[in-house]
Amino acid sequence: MTTLLCAAVALMFAFAIYVGVLSGRVTGAAGEFVNGGHALPPWVFIFAGCGILLGSLGLHDHFLLTALYGLQYSHVALGLTFAALGGALVYKRLWLAARMSGLGSPIDIVGAYYGSVALRIILLGLTVIFAVPFAALSLALAGDLIVAASGGVLARDQAIFVLAVFLFLFSALGGWRGVVYVVAAQSFLLLVLMLFVGAFTASAFDSLAVLTSGIKVMNGVLPDQIPGVMQYSAGIGKGESSGGIWTTLAIISFGVSLVGVVLSPAMSFLSITVRTRTGFAFHQVWMVAGLATGGLLIVSPLIGAEVAVSDPAGLQAGVTSYGGLIGRFASRDQFAALCLLLMLLSSMQIVVAFLTAAGANLLTIDFLHRYVLPDLTGEGRRLVARVTLALLYAAVALMAAFAPLSAAILGSVALSFSVQFLPAYIGLCWAPWISRNAVLTGLIFGGLLVILTEPPGLIFFEGLFLDLPWGRWPFTIHSALWGLGFNVAACLIVSLFTHAGPERLHREILHQGFRNALRGESRGSALGTAKWSLTLIWSFLALGPGAILGNSFFSKPMFTEGEATLGAPSLWVWQIVFWFLGVLLIWWLAYRARMSIIENAAWPRIELEPPLGQLERRRAPPWIALLLARVAER
Amino acid sequence: MPPAMTTEALDRHVLVMTIWLTAGLVAATLFHYGVGEGGPLFILAAFAAIIAAFAVHVIINIVFGGDFTTRELALGLVLYASALMAFAGAALSSDEIARKAFLPTSLGFLAIFAAVVFYMVVHSGVRRAFDAFDAIRSFRARQPAMPDRRGSSPG
Repeated sequence: MTTLLCAAVALMFAFAIYVGVLSGRVTGAAGEFVNGGHALPPWVFIFAGCGILLGSLGLHDHFLLTALYGLQYSHVALGLTFAALGGALVYKRLWLAARMSGLGSPIDIVGAYYGSVALRIILLGLTVIFAVPFAALSLALAGDLIVAASGGVLARDQAIFVLAVFLFLFSALGGWRGVVYVVAAQSFLLLVLMLFVGAFTASAFDSLAVLTSGIKVMNGVLPDQIPGVMQYSAGIGKGESSGGIWTTLAIISFGVSLVGVVLSPAMSFLSITVRTRTGFAFHQVWMVAGLATGGLLIVSPLIGAEVAVSDPAGLQAGVTSYGGLIGRFASRDQFAALCLLLMLLSSMQIVVAFLTAAGANLLTIDFLHRYVLPDLTGEGRRLVARVTLALLYAAVALMAAFAPLSAAILGSVALSFSVQFLPAYIGLCWAPWISRNAVLTGLIFGGLLVILTEPPGLIFFEGLFLDLPWGRWPFTIHSALWGLGFNVAACLIVSLFTHAGPERLHREILHQGFRNALRGESRGSALGTAKWSLTLIWSFLALGPGAILGNSFFSKPMFTEGEATLGAPSLWVWQIVFWFLGVLLIWWLAYRARMSIIENAAWPRIELEPPLGQLERRRAPPWIALLLARVAER
Repeated sequence: MPPAMTTEALDRHVLVMTIWLTAGLVAATLFHYGVGEGGPLFILAAFAAIIAAFAVHVIINIVFGGDFTTRELALGLVLYASALMAFAGAALSSDEIARKAFLPTSLGFLAIFAAVVFYMVVHSGVRRAFDAFDAIRSFRARQPAMPDRRGSSPG
């Protein structure tokens, strides 16, 4: 198995380096190294966006947690449809804003729209969280998986550093275009292998554990039911939940956290570097809401059940692993085991390669070029991007190899922090009355709530001060929703007092641009009402409190005394029904309601920020300049 | 690879490679399992994966407004011929493969051939599809490449 795995991984890297070299040759100006000349083909967004969502969801953990918690956990796959919804809400207008204003990164657009250096710095900080600890966690898991697959023949640190070196190599050769090509290719591989491994599991093993005996979950966990709308638990680590922690509020709040992937600076950057305006709708409807959500909903219980059967000791201890399942696959066919491994490895490599490369490019564009080295030429920008990439990869590899726990703790806040930018993006795309002060106040409250309901804040606060009465995700509500609730409340209250004023005129420049560019798309208020009401109804029943009905809706139909025999758990059928309805909903929003379709090929030019020549306005803020002077002049 | 490749050509090239490498992995796995424990259905499924990749390649050609490149045609023919010869050799030398895999594999190769012929007929029509293989006619139509006795090349 080790030889076969090494050969397959070597082949993958040979392909990646080949594509990197070709991309490096094709890239015209050196400055395009960091953004692909804003001319990436739509198919890379269609595939890569889907793979990045699956990778950021944590495909590796998803199957293991399904083994531990059963269908109540695999229900979170419906949250991917939520992510598609977030994309429909933001990407079209963000892409238009980039084209109309000529700004090249989401950090630039948000910073210029709100006229805020603080927002730029916070977004850069978020970029680093995604690029280092979040990516390092994936790399550490990839190292663990290779060790498990090789039976200890390959050392963990070796595997991590070899992976990091090759990932860096093709990223440094191919630039943004090369990275996105490879990520798109791996995403396609991931999607196909996910379906293939599910189908192979269904056909190669004599009895499907999920259908015959149900998923053998941990003791005290309901394998095929959601354990309530919410539970009055103090949170993970501080209180017990009966029947499992994945209540409907846990599921919907986890779904909200997946919107954080869509809003992350890296993913937004990808969306605005795509060449044409086609591709958004196809990506959201057919790839994310359709293939990824449906594939995961169907495949995850199959694989999760087999993981649980293959690792009974781990199941009792509450820590399952893939070792047993890989062995069972290999006993059937070595190539099938290889497919399982490549699927998992691809999901992790996608996260590392994409987030680290995007992080290096955004740091180059929005920090180094903007504030530190404003006179960079195209070649200089490429060199700086490569050096930044090398430093980030060094940090990622060191963290993955020697501090995986720190990576897990710090990386745990990435998605929840990212989703706190939802009010900022809603303001940018839809609501000019949301002011800079409102966004910043909301971010402060939201960020604090996220910190205090996730391990970094809990460990820090309890280490320095006193024990908090709550643990992680109190009342089984994910930190993303805790933060977003307070964030939106603060944002609305502050906007009441600050929605007008001279800043509003500046924000209206962009919204007037939208009105001009999207003229003729308005279909009346009835459509607007239907859009939001149908979305809320679907969310309530698919992910929210209404999902509790799925526990017995199809096995013990309401208003009848009898029981129906389906041959599959009622909750699984509920999930599949709402997956279909979710695809319909996203299709209607993206295509029919034109939320992801741009009809006009021409759009007006607007000026959100003075052009590059007027350096007085683009100069670094005094505190950054002072800091640099202190370091550089010694 | 020509040095002056355009970004559009690279887009198509990477997409085509992605499709074929993925389909190749799936097909190899299905074939390997089919020859082992799986049985003839898995072998047929392996060929179905290859035909599906071919269909996607045709769709990519249509979307990008092009046709199969000369390199792709050459590589496809070489791989097909090599696989056919390897299969013939394996069937002659191994009783087990001849017994378990001969019929489904033969059907698979025939299905691929049929799919290619079907594509050519639909894409180019019967006459042009036949002309593509009419080597004698293309030799006749070509000018002699050798220089004549006076030392000058024709044309």
